[in-house]
Amino acid sequence: MTSMRPTGEWNGTDFAHEAFLFATDQEVLDRIVPFAMEGLSRGEPVLVVAGKRVRRLLAEELGQDVRRLATFAAAETWWRGGHETLHAYDRDLRTLRSAAPTWRLVAEPVWLAREDGREWSRFEAVANRCYAAMPYYSLCLHDRRRLPAAVLDAVVRTHPLTWSGHAPVETAAYEDPTRFLRSVQPEWDARPGHSAVWTITAPREARRALAAAVIDGWRERADDVVLATHELLTNALRVAPFAEVAFWTDHETLVVEVADSGPGLPDETRGYVPPADDQEGGRGMWLAWSLADDASVASSPTGTAIRLYFRR
Amino acid sequence: MTALRQLASPTGLRHGDHVFWTFDDASDFSAAVLPYLDEGRWLGEQLLLTGTSRAALLDGLAGLPERDQMLASGQLEVRLMTDIVDPARGLVPVEQMESYRSEVAAALGRGRTGLRVAADVTTLAQRGSVDRRQLHVYERLADRMAASAALTALCLYDSSLDDDVLRPLAVLHPDQHHGERETLGCLCERGPWLSLRGEVDLSLADAVLRALVDVTRDAPGEVVLDLADLEFLDVAGARMLATAVRLLGEVGVHLRMVRAQRPVGRCLELFDLADGQAICT
Repeated sequence: MTSMRPTGEWNGTDFAHEAFLFATDQEVLDRIVPFAMEGLSRGEPVLVVAGKRVRRLLAEELGQDVRRLATFAAAETWWRGGHETLHAYDRDLRTLRSAAPTWRLVAEPVWLAREDGREWSRFEAVANRCYAAMPYYSLCLHDRRRLPAAVLDAVVRTHPLTWSGHAPVETAAYEDPTRFLRSVQPEWDARPGHSAVWTITAPREARRALAAAVIDGWRERADDVVLATHELLTNALRVAPFAEVAFWTDHETLVVEVADSGPGLPDETRGYVPPADDQEGGRGMWLAWSLADDASVASSPTGTAIRLYFRR
Repeated sequence: MTALRQLASPTGLRHGDHVFWTFDDASDFSAAVLPYLDEGRWLGEQLLLTGTSRAALLDGLAGLPERDQMLASGQLEVRLMTDIVDPARGLVPVEQMESYRSEVAAALGRGRTGLRVAADVTTLAQRGSVDRRQLHVYERLADRMAASAALTALCLYDSSLDDDVLRPLAVLHPDQHHGERETLGCLCERGPWLSLRGEVDLSLADAVLRALVDVTRDAPGEVVLDLADLEFLDVAGARMLATAVRLLGEVGVHLRMVRAQRPVGRCLELFDLADGQAICT
């Protein structure tokens, strides 16, 4: 029998991101308990944020050792929409980083079972890039019996590691974050004939035009539309002398497109990367994406077009 | 409360109005000052025009009805900036305000309805950055005083001054006329707190930062910045406020922002300003 190595070659200096798919109680215990005990034996903070079933199993198995976990929390109450959830998570990570050289986390994003929680896969994808230098092991639990096939498919495409039975191994289906995002964003159809189009050289012109155009049942979203579009324009006008703003509504969806003739986006994942001090323009994209209900990007060396989708 | 206004004409002004006005040349100067002072004449106010050359000021007033009678009766006074501000000491904002306060009282005592000042402040803005800081403090105090005294003020600046100089000055006035430039926002003091109003975006952030830091940095302790009338703030504006919090923190001033509207709060949160800085709604 091969000896078990719960974190494989991971040496605690960078990010390891594993998807563990389980069905039975025994599978859960066989994976988590050695993982947690290894962390405790190494003196690392061990955090567990999971659903009720996993918490119950772990509490029974670990007994008194549960108290040695740095966090043992319910995942059910964590979901506040993708951006807010990640922003809160990001703050926790930075706090941990200032307190410990390395740590490990068992996380069960139970909200992936909800219709509105599925966007979380995009954040999982981008985490591989933006947390690459964060010194922790994230063991993500996914219940095969609760999650739909489409979500499980996204899970394996967004986690570079999976479990072989005795050590973590590379996931064959793993995709680069940009490629994953492109595959899940809304289809890029031609603008409808009734769209309003403006050529903009200063963002305030678009604020005026949009504030006047966003009417008839969309008033409650007007502030979001204006601010999100403004941020996209601010970025566009950093790289191009003017930008085009197109605006249309399609039944229950309002769409704004900002297109420029700049050199293309260096990083299409920015809308999913939490604010940090070292970025120019990154916060604007994060904010725009978080204000909108969905977003898609068409970027090439001859220009960038970004669409934001708002629902009533 | 005075709302932020972009003025096309220096008229329709009353006590409490504090106007920033750029002029291109002598005739442009005259075109602003004449209707402004004439309105004060109609309202029975004491009129005061200040600038750098008495002859030029009187020339500029040539078209003012009853100019000579008003000069003779003392209702209209023309004063040189050098008589008001000792060039060696520079502007001392608090003293200047006290002197205006007594002039308002004196005008009321003489039966006038108030004091109406038109001041060409260009020479003060042309001095170095230390003096410009004092000028910013002065404009803040003038705004505060206009809110409570029978005072109407038109601050005139030569439009050929650098934009870096003019824009923080414009921000310190709720009424603005800055060439073709659209009025977006202002920093004023019409209630218990300093208040940021209108729209603060990338294009205005630097000017607001300069004005805000200059007018608050001299008094250690807490400064409350009311954001209730801030209708739009973008990420660049929020970054500027985060910078202001940091710069002021270094000199012992704790800038606390209150009453932000929801979209404004969204931008502040990106810089962790909402939590630690006690945003309330």
